[in-house]
Amino acid sequence: MFRDAPHFDVRDYLRKEMMPHFLCPGCGHGMALRALLWALHELKIDRDKLAVVSGIGCAGRLSAYIDANTFHTTHGRPLAYATGLALARPDLHVVVITGDGDCLAIGGNHLIHACRRNLKLTCLMLNNEIYGMTGGQVSPTTSETRLTTTTPHGNTEPNFDACALATAAGAGFVGREVTRHVPKMKELIKDGLQHPGFAFIEVLSDCTEVYGRKNDMGSSSEMVLRQKSEMRPSAYRDSVDEPFRSTDLPTGILARNHRPEYGAALRAAAAARAAK
Amino acid sequence: MNEQSKIAALNADSEPVAFNAALAEPFNVLIVGVGGQGVIMVSKVLAALAQAHGFEVKQSEVHGMAKRGGAVFSHVRFGQRVWSPTIAKGEADVLIALEWAEGLRWLPHLKRDTGVFICDTKRIVPPFACLNRKLGAKMRYSTETAEQVSAYVSEAYAIDATRMAEELGNDRAANVVLLGALSTVLEFSLPEWEKTVTSFVPKKTIAVNTAAFELGRNWIVEAKTATPADDAAAKAAPVHAHYSARLEITDAWCKSCEICVKLCPERCLTLNADRIATMTAPEKCTGCRLCEWLCPDFAIRVHLDTEAAVMEAAR
Repeated sequence: MFRDAPHFDVRDYLRKEMMPHFLCPGCGHGMALRALLWALHELKIDRDKLAVVSGIGCAGRLSAYIDANTFHTTHGRPLAYATGLALARPDLHVVVITGDGDCLAIGGNHLIHACRRNLKLTCLMLNNEIYGMTGGQVSPTTSETRLTTTTPHGNTEPNFDACALATAAGAGFVGREVTRHVPKMKELIKDGLQHPGFAFIEVLSDCTEVYGRKNDMGSSSEMVLRQKSEMRPSAYRDSVDEPFRSTDLPTGILARNHRPEYGAALRAAAAARAAK
Repeated sequence: MNEQSKIAALNADSEPVAFNAALAEPFNVLIVGVGGQGVIMVSKVLAALAQAHGFEVKQSEVHGMAKRGGAVFSHVRFGQRVWSPTIAKGEADVLIALEWAEGLRWLPHLKRDTGVFICDTKRIVPPFACLNRKLGAKMRYSTETAEQVSAYVSEAYAIDATRMAEELGNDRAANVVLLGALSTVLEFSLPEWEKTVTSFVPKKTIAVNTAAFELGRNWIVEAKTATPADDAAAKAAPVHAHYSARLEITDAWCKSCEICVKLCPERCLTLNADRIATMTAPEKCTGCRLCEWLCPDFAIRVHLDTEAAVMEAAR
């Protein structure tokens, strides 16, 4: 257990001149970033062959801290930029970091079409159920009855299950994990990075300063502890037993299929046309 | 290809057996280890090989209750005529252990004067052998050194097969390293061994397993020709590394979120007057890394130093 652990130092992968980062104290995004960098380290992915694309928002900001090729794009469009990048440079590992508002509201259309095409990409969606950077507005994943600045009497809209959406749209690999389980999150991201198609990974993250404070969810450590009681681990995914509430979200790998990869199909079609 | 046809294919072109006549009494090989290491695979290879030679083979194993992490053993007996499937105490010609303590547990089954003991120095410490959570704490795991064991056995090899397999890129090939070691004891020909091994391992891992087999075989050959001084080095005790944990905290990055303080299972950390995370009970730290993993600001780094490294740093 201890023998292989010491080799990973997250600081080797960070732009140290940018640190400390701008995220609030206790923000779960830092743990998700660690898991991503750990997965990249364990897969021995060359940083020159890695491109991280991100949109706007707290999650979108994470690409700035990674010491690799990074691309900070417009709101909701990281998947569109990444699609172009992955098609033009199939030799690169393209990773998209996006948030729930970025990916499901403004970029919702791009998400479903990226899932449909099944281009080789890894999309890491950090879901904290709120627009944290702009002051705490309601997002498509905000749970019902939760308080935000735009729902002062509680949210009445039903929320999205992003993984179910991605599965239905045809994503090749779909998984979900919570920030509390960093090694499990790393394993999931590793599986996603190795998948020969579109991998959608949802990380349930904590927004302590805005969401937590507005909804009286306690300190950041209490929010991390809360994840354990509110999430259903993958081992019990099919369980219908009582201990889990009906609102619990399953974690782990939720879908995996091997549909044809879009980039390869497109290149094959182009080659066939050129040969004619 | 099922196992029957595998054996039939091997039968078709196997050479006449040299030690056929010598085995009026069955040859007994006992293979022991921990669930998940590949004990059953080793015994299957051996059984198929012996059967292809025209020997009668009886094999008996316990694996059902063990699952991963429990004790597994397999008796393989082959010869012109085999009556009982199990090996009695003091009757095993060869004892192959994939784990150090399991090997010691079964030593009484080995023939005292002629038995060959081939043991991986890999240590899998069961949870109930750990008496407390402190780093480097004493545990109820065998303390015998390889030297002490070799004094008890006529021919003993303590081979670090798991590390050898790890260096080849797949630690699960450790059992094939031991098969390579076993191949020096039995008089089956090398092509036969390789043919049987490759027919039992997954297709993708044939290259690494062939290399592992070679490595194990050569290791024994070298150990046999080594001078006594070298021999002692080769049979050195499995070193148990004692670790001590040390936390490196980047104060400038800490944002006082208190996640590390509240989630540390041993309550080693507190916030100081400046509300920066500080280690206050280093002696209680087990090096579990939870604080490092959960720190959203990358301010904590856990260093696990071996005792040797600590001594070196102190000097």
